[in-house]
Amino acid sequence: MSETPLIVLDRVCKQYGTTPVLRDCSLTVARGEIVVVCGPSGSGKSTLIKCINGLEPYQSGSVRFDGEEVGARTTDLPRLRSRIGMVFQSFELYPHMTALRNVMLAQVHALKRPRAEARARSLDLLARVGLADRAEAYPADLSGGQQQRVAIARALALDPIAMLFDEPTSALDPEMINEVLDVMTGLARDGMTMVVVTHEMGFARKVANRVVFMDEGRIVEDRPSEAFFGAPVTERARVFLSKIIAH
Amino acid sequence: MLEALLPEALLPEVIRQNLPFLLAGLAMTVRLAAIGIVGGTLLGLLVGVIRYARVPVLSPLAALYVEIVRGTPLLVVLFICYFAIPALLGYRTSAVNAAALGFVLFIAAYLAEDVRSGLRSVPPGLARAGLATGLSTVQVFRLIVLPQALRRIIPPVFSQYVRLFKFTSVASVIGVRELTGSALLVNAREFQPVVILATVALTYLVLCSTLSLVGRLLYARLSVRT
Repeated sequence: MSETPLIVLDRVCKQYGTTPVLRDCSLTVARGEIVVVCGPSGSGKSTLIKCINGLEPYQSGSVRFDGEEVGARTTDLPRLRSRIGMVFQSFELYPHMTALRNVMLAQVHALKRPRAEARARSLDLLARVGLADRAEAYPADLSGGQQQRVAIARALALDPIAMLFDEPTSALDPEMINEVLDVMTGLARDGMTMVVVTHEMGFARKVANRVVFMDEGRIVEDRPSEAFFGAPVTERARVFLSKIIAH
Repeated sequence: MLEALLPEALLPEVIRQNLPFLLAGLAMTVRLAAIGIVGGTLLGLLVGVIRYARVPVLSPLAALYVEIVRGTPLLVVLFICYFAIPALLGYRTSAVNAAALGFVLFIAAYLAEDVRSGLRSVPPGLARAGLATGLSTVQVFRLIVLPQALRRIIPPVFSQYVRLFKFTSVASVIGVRELTGSALLVNAREFQPVVILATVALTYLVLCSTLSLVGRLLYARLSVRT
């Protein structure tokens, strides 16, 4: 790689009290790369990606985003976060605002974009995720899949240079999973750097460059996706894969 | 203005004859309630937010204030505002001002608890989502958490407003001529307790029902749909 990597985690450790959550996690994500993080629940996947935008503090190690140390006291976290889009398992749309206002909010208040421009940009993005006609709907009137697509539009509205997905399809009914994965696949095709926590192995196989497998707070495998799906090196990953692919 | 709203001919004789006096009392009741609602809401918001945000030093003081007021009868709060605080701080006050201060201090303690629990009820994931988009902690609070909390607490807050409206009658004990105080004076002269007190009770009922209707309409319009 000629360029500096966009995301570098170096021996990150985190514990809640005496319970370790992340143990010596190191991970490098190059620009334009798509990395899928998988592993059993409680293995630290969500915590790991929340370290990247500083939503989770960590006790030791270092996290650098675009050359900037996330944990440093001098880091302007709001500014750094506005360059990283994040999508959550439970959508987290603001229930008192329409879809349009959800997408506009941070543009107006964090990026200080003029309202008219933010509005136009939001409508574009809602159209891009296939929701042009639901701009004035409140989250409660949208299906789960639609809500998650609004959440993706909200994250994209900041023109982020990377996107973090924390189990974006886990709370969705099966028939809505694909509409969200399609949007994500489109993003990947446009060259977005993405770190995706997911159990959608079809998506991982098709879209990801690399698969990271975590267990008990450790990164136990980190390999190109064909190699990972071809033959996982560790027994733990093999057992996990056979379990989630079996049904 | 209030006279115009009443079908005067339908009123009982004793009420009609004392109407200007009683209406002045009613105006005082409305005024005290309005001061209590506005002032109490502002103070309650401030105290509730301090408690929610666990502001160092101020938060324990706010908790102490809430505990003291909620453990003290309203009448005692009014006496304190009328006699004790002026004596302590060395100023003179009128019964009306003392009552107004007492109502603000009293109802704010209850409203602060509603504000605090409303703020706590907003799912933390929403604040996290706001932070993730680059909003500052203060922006997240102002744009995401507070608007939802306020919508959620409309019902308990309006029931506090209704309580306060009725509580204004206690001010008559320190000599304020609000609706109840005026009615008692009229009754002392005319001695028609049934008619006079029934009229007073009905007036409170109508105004309190209106106030809670406003609360219900506001809630129906603004409530967060989930």
